Amino acid sequence: MTLAQHKTEEHRTANKSKDGSLERVRAAAQELHAAITSAAAKHGEAVKEELKSIVPKAKAVVASLNESLGVQTEAIKKQLSQAIPHLEATQKHVAESLKATGHAAEASVRQAVLDAHAAVQKITEALAAKRTAESTHVHS
Amino acid sequence: MRNYIAIVFRDKSKAYEALHGLWQLDQVGDITVHGTTVVHRDAFGQIQVDTKETHPALATAVGVGVGALLGLFAGPVGIAVGAAAGAGLGAAAGGIVGGLADLGRADTRDNALNDAAFVLGMGESAVIADVTEDWNSPIDNLALRLGGSVYRRAKSLVRNDDPYFYDNYFYPYEYIPSRHTMYW
Repeated sequence: MTLAQHKTEEHRTANKSKDGSLERVRAAAQELHAAITSAAAKHGEAVKEELKSIVPKAKAVVASLNESLGVQTEAIKKQLSQAIPHLEATQKHVAESLKATGHAAEASVRQAVLDAHAAVQKITEALAAKRTAESTHVHS
Repeated sequence: MRNYIAIVFRDKSKAYEALHGLWQLDQVGDITVHGTTVVHRDAFGQIQVDTKETHPALATAVGVGVGALLGLFAGPVGIAVGAAAGAGLGAAAGGIVGGLADLGRADTRDNALNDAAFVLGMGESAVIADVTEDWNSPIDNLALRLGGSVYRRAKSLVRNDDPYFYDNYFYPYEYIPSRHTMYW
């Protein structure tokens, strides 16, 4: 391993620990999307039972994202903030689906899946931008 | 750079190894994966998409998005590296030429669907992914190790207005798939 490679590796390892919060936020958002998709695949009352457990998960993702915002650069913060409306919409649609029945409930679940997916996309885009910025910094 | 990539294999199990390999590369921060899917072309020429089992309410009509996307890799902008399977593809596939491809346009989509056969042959499987990669070597090395061919196309050169494209096909994490058939 050359000295340059060694330094790059060292820098990447150091960045990984700083990256952790954003990666945890993404993992939580992915888990939220997976949970809603899994609930949507159930039938009858089982859907609502699963959705009930999703409400605190959604709140936890928002809390985790807000916490992560504090340690990000302005550019990443701005990008990451775009996930918040989608997460709030996810919470809203999950809550609506718990109150509704039939097609209205299905429509709310569907919307919740779309919003959760959009939130994951926004967080992933922020993570990619952060990794690219750090990689550029290492190689410049 | 944000790219669509496809890694094509003769063996379906290799496509799943590649799927896991991509997520491992993401985990160590070498690339960032936005979404993945695994597809197969059966002996009758139909492309099957492995997708998560969902409630009927979520199962919208399966579109042609992934097939058309595969076709875009066949044009001159789609570049194959790795195994010999990629040789001469650009010359063979005539439907899609370089520049921005708008999958919302019926003629572009139809040409891309025809060209998909140049990328994914009968009995072959592929993992398709939307990734951000700062250098090509991590994915190229993964494909080389598993014996697959890599195709890339810049996401900025693909316009796709299908609102369900990502929700139907591209999963933002690893998943245990079930098989749905995509007809066109």
